[in-house]
Amino acid sequence: MHNAYWLLNVRLETGHEVESGAVTGTKTGLFRLRIKDGKITAIANMSDAGDIDGLPQLDARGLLALPPFIEKHCHLDKTLLGDRWRPVRPAASLFERFEIEARTLPTLRTTMKERAEKLLELLLRAGSTHIRTHVDLYPEAGLRHLEAVQEALASFEGKLTSEIVAFPQHGLLRTQSKGIVREALRGGCGLVGGVDPHTVDGDMEKSLQTMMELAVEANADVDLHLHDGGRIGLDTIRRLAQLADEAGWQGRVSVSHAFALADMQGEEAEETAQLLANSGIAIITSVPLGRAIPPVPFLHDRGVHVAVGCDNIFDSWSPFGNGDVLERAGRLAERFGRKTEQELAEALGFITGGVTPLDKDGQPVWPKLGDEASFVFAEASCSAETVARRAKRPAVMHRGTIVAGALERTSL
Amino acid sequence: MNKSVYWLVNVLLETGYRYEDGDIVGTDAQLHHIRIEDGRMASVASGELPEDGLPRRDAAGLLLLPAFREMHIHIDKTYYGGPWKAVRPANGVFGRIEEERELLPKLLPTAQQRAEKMLEMLLGFGSTHVRTHCNIDPVVGLRNMEAAMRALDTYSGKLSHEVVAFPQHGLLRSDAVELVREAMRQGATHVGAVDPATVDGDIDRSLQTVMDIAIEADAGVDIHVHDGGDAGLATMRRVAELTEQAGWQGRVTVSHAFAFAGDAAAAAELAGRFAELGISITSTVPFGGLIMPLPMMHAKGVAIGLGNDSITDHWSPFGIGDCLEKAGRLAELYRFVDERSLAQSLGYITGGVTPLDAEGRRVWPATGDAADVVLVQASCSAEAVARRAERKAVLFGGELVAGALEKR
Repeated sequence: MHNAYWLLNVRLETGHEVESGAVTGTKTGLFRLRIKDGKITAIANMSDAGDIDGLPQLDARGLLALPPFIEKHCHLDKTLLGDRWRPVRPAASLFERFEIEARTLPTLRTTMKERAEKLLELLLRAGSTHIRTHVDLYPEAGLRHLEAVQEALASFEGKLTSEIVAFPQHGLLRTQSKGIVREALRGGCGLVGGVDPHTVDGDMEKSLQTMMELAVEANADVDLHLHDGGRIGLDTIRRLAQLADEAGWQGRVSVSHAFALADMQGEEAEETAQLLANSGIAIITSVPLGRAIPPVPFLHDRGVHVAVGCDNIFDSWSPFGNGDVLERAGRLAERFGRKTEQELAEALGFITGGVTPLDKDGQPVWPKLGDEASFVFAEASCSAETVARRAKRPAVMHRGTIVAGALERTSL
Repeated sequence: MNKSVYWLVNVLLETGYRYEDGDIVGTDAQLHHIRIEDGRMASVASGELPEDGLPRRDAAGLLLLPAFREMHIHIDKTYYGGPWKAVRPANGVFGRIEEERELLPKLLPTAQQRAEKMLEMLLGFGSTHVRTHCNIDPVVGLRNMEAAMRALDTYSGKLSHEVVAFPQHGLLRSDAVELVREAMRQGATHVGAVDPATVDGDIDRSLQTVMDIAIEADAGVDIHVHDGGDAGLATMRRVAELTEQAGWQGRVTVSHAFAFAGDAAAAAELAGRFAELGISITSTVPFGGLIMPLPMMHAKGVAIGLGNDSITDHWSPFGIGDCLEKAGRLAELYRFVDERSLAQSLGYITGGVTPLDAEGRRVWPATGDAADVVLVQASCSAEAVARRAERKAVLFGGELVAGALEKR
C-alpha cells in the first residue's frame, strides 16, 4: 500500500450531545487523516482548506472510524469452520469431552491450518486486528496445534497481530504438561495458560505455583481459564492475585470466564474488585448465556480491566459462535441492561483494549497524532449505535493498510 | 390472486437422523422437486422430472425450511429506519409511558414508512407471518394502528399478519376501553392489554374487560404480562379461568409471562393449565437477570412463539429482527447443542413445524402445505439454527418475496 496518503471523509466523534443534564447523543465531524508508514501524521477538518500534497487519497465516505477490535479469547485450533457441519456429541463429563475432541480433530478432512485461517478471516472481517488465541497442549497432540496455528497466523502477517496462550487443556498437572508448556513458551507462546486448578488439576496451590513459575521463567504473561465457581473459584482468584503480586506480575495476568465473580456478595465483592484492580488482573468474558457471569459494569466501575472474546466458534464444545466480537459487546450491553448513549459507548471499550473515541466527559481522546492507522470503519453515526445496532463494517484497516472489505480509492 | 404453477427443483429436504453408537450425529437430506400450485406445495418428487411444460425454478441444493413467524413486535413505534437514538433513562414503565406522551406524536409522521422498513427487514430474514401490537392510547388514538395497517397493506401478498389493539398506557388506567372497541371494529384481530395488576391496578376488572371486548368482537387475546411473582401468577391464573369460561381455548396468548420464571412448582402447574386451554405464550428469550423456563413449558405442551418485540425504540436499542437468530439464542441459552434439540428448536419460530419430528420422521412438507418457505444455505435444520444460516430466498404462497432464485 501507499507509503503516504490521505484518508478522506472519516467520521470521528467530537463530543457529547447533552439535554437537560443527560448525554443523549454524540456529535461527530468529518475529517481527513494523513497516513504515513502506517501511522496518523495529520488530522484536519474536511472543511479546512489545506494542501493535500499531491498524495493519493482513500475516501471513507462518511463512515465512522472506530478503534480496531481485539478478540481476547478464542481457540484457533479447535474450530471446525470450513469442515462439514456436525453438532456437539453428548459427553458425560469434561474428561469425555476432551477425548471426543482429541479423537475428532485428527479425522477431519480439512487441516487445522485451513480451519484456523477460516476463523481468522471471520475475525478480521468483524474488525478484530489483534487476536489472543489459546492453543491446546497435551501429550498426545504435542506441539502440533501450536505449529498449525502459527502457520495460519503467518498467512495473516501484516493483517493482524496476535498472542498465543500455551494452554494445557487437559490439565497442567493432570496430564503432566509442564514440559510441553515450557517448550511451547520457547516456541513462540507469549502466555501461560491453565484450566481450573482445583477441579481439573485437583491441586489449586501447586497448579497455580507451577503456572507462575513457568511464566516467570519464560518472562511470559498468564491467562487462566477459570470455570470453577463459588468459594473455590474466588479462592483461586485471590491466590493467583497474591502470586502475581509476589512475582511482580501486576498487569500481566488475566482470568478468563471467572464465573466465581458472579457469586460475590457485598463487602467481598468490593474487596475482590479492589484486589483485581490493584494487581492489574484482567477479566475476560465471552458473555455466555444461561449462567451467571462476572458483574462487568461493577468491575469496570472499580477499575478492573474487562475484555470480551468469542471463545468457542463452532467446535467440539459449542455449535454456536460467529467470531463477531462486536456482537458479543452488544450482547454484553443487553445482558446488563446498558442502553443509554454513554453506557453503550462505554461497552465498545471492552473490545478495543479500553480505547474509546470519547472519554467519560465527552472529550475526544482517540485518534491522536502518531497513533497507528488501525481502524474499523462502521456504517453508524457513533459508537453507541455501533454497539447496539451491530453496525455493518465495510472496511477494516491495520497499520495503514485495508485488511478486510474496501474503501473507495479516489484518483487525483 | 393469480398464483404461479411451477416446479421448485433441487430443494434439499431432510429425510431422517443419522445415528452412531446410539447418538444422533447428523441429519440425512436429499434433493427433491416440489410442484407449487395455488400457493401450496402440491406434490414432492425426486429423481428425473418428466418434461411437463411447467416452468422451473432452481433452488440449487438449498435447504427448505418452513417460513418463520415473528409473534411479538411493535411495528407502529420505532426508530428503525430513522436517525439513531439511544434509550433515555426513565423511571420504570410509568416513566416510559410518560415519555410516550411526547414521543408518539413526533413519530407519527414517519410511522407507516418505518413500519414498512421493518416488515421488509423481517421478510428478508424469513418471517412471512407477523403479529404486531399497535398502541391504542389517548395520545395517538387509533392513528398508530392505522399507520401500521397501511404498512401491512403495502405488504399484502408478501406476508400474513395479526394486529393486536394494545392499550400500552393501561386499558383502565388510560380509559382506553372505547378506543380498543373502535380498534376492533377497524380490523384489529386481537385485544391487547398490559399488566392488569400494576398498570391497571385491578386484575379482575382489567381482564374481564379484555375478555368482554374479545367476545364482543369475536377476536383473539394477547396480553403483555411483565408482572412477576404472585401478581403475575394471579394474573395468568385469572386469564386461564376467563379463557375457560368464555370457551376461548386456543385464542389467547400471554406475552412475556415473566412470572413463569419464579416458583418452579407454580410455574409447572400453570404451564399444564395453559397447555390444556391452548393458551400460548410469546417470548423474546430474555437472557439477562431473568430466564424463562421455556423448555419446561414446551415439554408441558404450551405453544410458544418468539418475537423480537423492539427493534430500536425508546424501550430498547438491541433488536435485530432475525427470528432464526432468536432460535439460535434460545438453543444457546438452554444448551441445545446436539443435533435433535437444535433441529427441534426451529419449531419455536415456525409455529411448531419442523421438517423432521423428534423421532426423525419427515413430517414436512406434506402435500397441500402452504408454500411459505425459506431457502437457506445449510445441510440441515440443526446447522441452520446453530450457524444462523444465510437466507437466500423466501417464498410466501409460492411467490418469491425476498432474495432470489434462479429461473430455468
